[in-house]
Amino acid sequence: MTEPLLWLALAGPLALLTLGLVPSTTANAAPAMMARWSRLAAIAALAGAVCVAAAVALAGPLHTAPQPIGFGLWADRLTAVMFVLVAFIGTIVVSYSRNYMDGDANHGRFTKWLCFTLASVLILIVSGNMVQFALAWLATSIGLNRLLLFYRGRPAAILAARKKFIASRISDLCLLGAMWLFYQAFGGLDYGTIFAGAAALSGHAAPLGITLACFLIVVAALLKSAQFPLHGWLIEVMETPTPVSALLHAGIINAGGFLLLRFSDVLVLSAPALDTLALVGGFTALFGSMVMLTQSSIKVSLAWSTIAQMGFMMLQCGLGAWSAALLHIVAHSCYKAHAFLSSGSVVDIARASWSPSPGGAPHPARMGIALGVVLATALVASSLFGATLNQQPGVFALGSIMLFGLTHLIAQSIDERPNLFVIGRTLALAVVVAVTYFGLQWGAAALMAGTLPGNAALRGPLTLVIVIMVVGAFANVTLLQSSLGRAGGSARGRALYVHVSNGFYVNTIANRLVLRLWPARAPEAL
Amino acid sequence: MKGSTMNVMTLVRPALDRAAMEAAIAAACNKIAPLWPLKHFVAVNPFLGFAGHSFADTCAIMRRVAHTEMLMPRDFYAQAVAAGVISDADLEAALAIDLGVPLPGVAGLKAALGQARRAKPAAVVATIAEVLDDLAKGDRLASRTAFMVDEISKWCAGYFDGGQASWKAPGRGGRPYAAWRADMRHDHNPEAMGITGFRAVIAGLPEDPVDAIIAVVSALGTPQHTIGDYLHRGLFDIGGWAAYARYLVWDNALYGRPDDTLVQLLAIRMAWGYALYRERDDAAFRQAWASAMADAAALPEGAGLAGDPDLAIDLVWQNAYEIAFQRKLLERLRGNSGKTTTPERPPVQAAFCIDVRSEVYRRALETAFPGTATVGFAGFFGYPIEYVPIGRETGGAQCPVLLTPAFTVCEAVADAGAEEEIEILGLRLLRRRAARAWKSFKLSAVSSFTFVETAGLLFAAKLASDTSGLTRPVGDPNTDGLDANVIGRTGPQLEARTVRGRATGFTAEQALAQAEAVLRAMSMTENFAPLAMLVGHGSTSANNPHASGLDCGACGGHTGEANARVAAGILNDPAVRIGLGNRGIFIPADTWFLGCLHDTTTDEIRIYDEAGIPAGLAPALRELKIRLASASAIARHERSALLGLKGAADIDARVIARSRDWSQVRPEWGLAGNAAFIAGPRHHTEGLDLGGRAFLHSYDWRADQGFGVLQLIMTAPMVVASWINLQYYGSTVNNKAFGSGNKVLHNVVGTLGVLEGNAGDLKTGLPWQSVHDGTRFIHEPLRLNVFIDAPEAAMNDIISRHASVRELVDNGWVHLFSLGGEHGIRRYAGGLQWVEA
Repeated sequence: MTEPLLWLALAGPLALLTLGLVPSTTANAAPAMMARWSRLAAIAALAGAVCVAAAVALAGPLHTAPQPIGFGLWADRLTAVMFVLVAFIGTIVVSYSRNYMDGDANHGRFTKWLCFTLASVLILIVSGNMVQFALAWLATSIGLNRLLLFYRGRPAAILAARKKFIASRISDLCLLGAMWLFYQAFGGLDYGTIFAGAAALSGHAAPLGITLACFLIVVAALLKSAQFPLHGWLIEVMETPTPVSALLHAGIINAGGFLLLRFSDVLVLSAPALDTLALVGGFTALFGSMVMLTQSSIKVSLAWSTIAQMGFMMLQCGLGAWSAALLHIVAHSCYKAHAFLSSGSVVDIARASWSPSPGGAPHPARMGIALGVVLATALVASSLFGATLNQQPGVFALGSIMLFGLTHLIAQSIDERPNLFVIGRTLALAVVVAVTYFGLQWGAAALMAGTLPGNAALRGPLTLVIVIMVVGAFANVTLLQSSLGRAGGSARGRALYVHVSNGFYVNTIANRLVLRLWPARAPEAL
Repeated sequence: MKGSTMNVMTLVRPALDRAAMEAAIAAACNKIAPLWPLKHFVAVNPFLGFAGHSFADTCAIMRRVAHTEMLMPRDFYAQAVAAGVISDADLEAALAIDLGVPLPGVAGLKAALGQARRAKPAAVVATIAEVLDDLAKGDRLASRTAFMVDEISKWCAGYFDGGQASWKAPGRGGRPYAAWRADMRHDHNPEAMGITGFRAVIAGLPEDPVDAIIAVVSALGTPQHTIGDYLHRGLFDIGGWAAYARYLVWDNALYGRPDDTLVQLLAIRMAWGYALYRERDDAAFRQAWASAMADAAALPEGAGLAGDPDLAIDLVWQNAYEIAFQRKLLERLRGNSGKTTTPERPPVQAAFCIDVRSEVYRRALETAFPGTATVGFAGFFGYPIEYVPIGRETGGAQCPVLLTPAFTVCEAVADAGAEEEIEILGLRLLRRRAARAWKSFKLSAVSSFTFVETAGLLFAAKLASDTSGLTRPVGDPNTDGLDANVIGRTGPQLEARTVRGRATGFTAEQALAQAEAVLRAMSMTENFAPLAMLVGHGSTSANNPHASGLDCGACGGHTGEANARVAAGILNDPAVRIGLGNRGIFIPADTWFLGCLHDTTTDEIRIYDEAGIPAGLAPALRELKIRLASASAIARHERSALLGLKGAADIDARVIARSRDWSQVRPEWGLAGNAAFIAGPRHHTEGLDLGGRAFLHSYDWRADQGFGVLQLIMTAPMVVASWINLQYYGSTVNNKAFGSGNKVLHNVVGTLGVLEGNAGDLKTGLPWQSVHDGTRFIHEPLRLNVFIDAPEAAMNDIISRHASVRELVDNGWVHLFSLGGEHGIRRYAGGLQWVEA
């Protein structure tokens, strides 16, 4: 009974796909019509997503009849959240592009590939079979490639697209390898078969094939979400119109995270794969956010921020905080889509960003005061929500990082003219932030209970080492940042700034390798 | 292997004469036009540094030195011929202009249009990066030039950053060249790209920027007579940041402070070239460089057009294109010259900025309210003020960028007692501090993760409300941190006060002197209407980095609100009126000045300080508001054609929606289309539809004793109008070089300018979207046609006394005409000669 109705969820994505298959010349001949239809198709997709979400909320998880190899739909709470999220972001981006791209000779072609890419991501999210998932995965990468090369004559766009191409193909191979191993292990590629097989293995030592498959999935996800050291393409894709950046950073880049969440039931079988994820993610998070601090152009700074935020999300997955990772994906997508689409407003922000006089110098003891206040707040807030810091390493690590953030917030308000109003306001804000944080975490966990694995207990000594390393590194960076303003004069501070602002030269080396291995004459400028 | 020990040896060459080199450096630096930051973006003539050269010579220099075109591609002129825009007569008239080189006839010119794009001139001065790029066989992805420009641009962005990065470049306190050298000791990036020995080469260069330039130029063996070109070319490669440095130099010069930032930047660029030179030691490179230097040595000095016959042909076409436009405009002006304004007292006088957008509104108002006398004057209304917003210590300079503010005016809240004032101020300061703390929370290395997880979801609602136009992506910077009930009550504080040690407001003498000067400059000394509007202008757009460029240029890239309100407030002061009466200007007791703001995007007019208007004028004010509403609708209707809204039923609603749309890349057309500047009484243009393409300046030479006002018009508004005109010209003929490229790729850098895409140089000028609607250019590449109703002898006198004016009119940067003389309209032919137009 539900099965035929579930196929209706594809109506919106298929309408988008149809627009995505319109030949470019036809699309360019009628840009206004393409823009109008694409908006309607995106709204239809959003409406379909909301209906699926409502159906899942009322009737529980839904899926179409399983086929070992083939097509199918799988709608559980994870699908519902991601489907609504991407359809919403897609609707916003498509609407934005209508006026933004007006007058471009290839406006129609732009809309076409935007629709194609959005449709691919949506189909990826609702798919219930790894074959469909992999096809959509590939289609997303093709669509994105066409969007990255929208202005074909721009050398930097070509270079970024080549790097992305290399990362994508490795990632595709990893996904294919994982699929083959899954098929070997479980005898089918539809989600029902895979999840049932994984449940049967739970509590046992994972067979080698599964461990290998988990590693391949982890690598595929890391590559898809622009993690170190293949992050370079993401910071160079500003060679294409702003809406592409918004869709990429808020929709497409999440595919890596979604892959992990989708197969989290399998991934929890392999502790080493998750430890790897936590290490690479945690490192990328700190690396990306440090580099972000030094960037002086808005879009590049936002791109580094995405690399960092994706790293943090990977860290959450690696630490077994799956529902927190989903919350992070959703919140980050909304934030980053807005940040890109409104990036032209940074001049307005700058015009309003004057320093109140007399400019207060930072109070010498502010970190100490802030730390004390935060610890007190943390005790209250954590006891309210029953988060115990010793049983759940993920919650412990992520909670600590949240507290470092709060410390920073409060420290900012304490300068040499301690003003009760400002401190009071900031404290109130800190309390609101802490309560919101724990409330949302609790809400996400409650929503995803039964869909995503719960917060895991300590997996072993290696995980403990990783947790301690992560917490230590984040604490150090918090302290380091509070002294950055002053470190300027010393040669060491200067050297550090130069290295960090260049992203430790990783991307330049990658560029040089790509130029060396893949030299070709660029097409003439349009 | 090249080490630092070799540096010294290579650099020991017969030293160039330091004084001559300093002169060459200064000359190269002066060729760069300044670029104002986006917070107060104003139009700049991109060819400002070439004012001393003729237009034609500048075209030749740009092609020879920088491979950069300054004229339209040939198919543009071919289309103009096909469309009947350029007639044979126009072409013959253009041929009659002596360019100093032999030219083909009409048939030859037309045949040339069918031929392929003109070739580059033979002799050029090459840069090292260029020679390396040639050796790489045209593989543009591996371009050394692009890498060098990216690296310099990235460093400049960090050094000049106006508030983007939270970890600021450590070298910001020092001078650029020294700070750059110190950074380059640690920077492995060039070497990661394969430029071996980069750090050692830079460390081996002299500490002083001028010494470094001299050392590099002598080491490269650049022929003596091409050094100037080489330095100019070097700056042109990083033209955007050079322009920003030139702005800093310009701004400091206004206050008499010396500034060598641009020389320092040139040293950085020269050092980069030298590092590239030292990268390669192979025979192929040495041979290529030697041959480039030999080509440069063969470069004919000051060849101009003679060395570039193809360019001469295109110049004739550009002249013909402009002559065609002049022919039509002259016909219309001649046909209109009979009209005179009625001498009886008008019900309303309305003074607008000379901005071309006012032309549309003035006509609309004259239609909606017959009898209204409209006036054109620079939109700062003669008040060069620094306007200090509530809570701040300093404010923006609200005057043309050729001037420095003479007065400081503070923003204040009307009818606020001392207690409320302190409360408002305190609240704004505290909100600002809280906002800073929140921003830091959002953007710091670790707390940014917490920020996303707590506040990220809120952006879902923001995305929806911004998309539907209910909210702005960020608050209006002018009202940020003020309560809604305060926002409507803020305005300039005119009384003389001392605020934090600075004299603000106007003393009685200052107010009177300024009021008299302004009225005389506006030729507004008699026949005052009961209501006299002084209308400044501003624009409304959302999410637009170039928004301030749509505001009033005469107010330094700010809205004209404060200036108009200051001018009106002073003219309403009874003491000032008594003083004016003593000086021969009698303002009737029943005349009231209204400070107003014209929103050029929505064509709404807002009247300020209504509370002070005498009760007796209430009926007249009510009438005025009704007329203004219909004038606004007429103006919107006229502008809607270019906005693609023609035939829409709800034009008013859609124009207003555009002004709030965060995805709108063309909220309004700004000054696109500008082509003429007309100074004279309104009767020359009244009733003529000039299509929003003319700057209209009111002027009556008969009332101008000693021609002081004429001198003011020719040295200030005319010059500023030509800056605007040439900015649009440059952004149209070659948007890549003189414009800021594609708006959908804009990436705001350092909150002061834009990059196009990831990296590359800072962009100057206007976005492509500001001059082109997707199917055609909305701006026509025409040099400004200036018409002045004044005796030719008086104009000659001013031309001969002011180099800035002489350069414009004698070097062909504007076309000057005299209007209303006994011979009708006559054309200035250069050298103080006037001929029949």
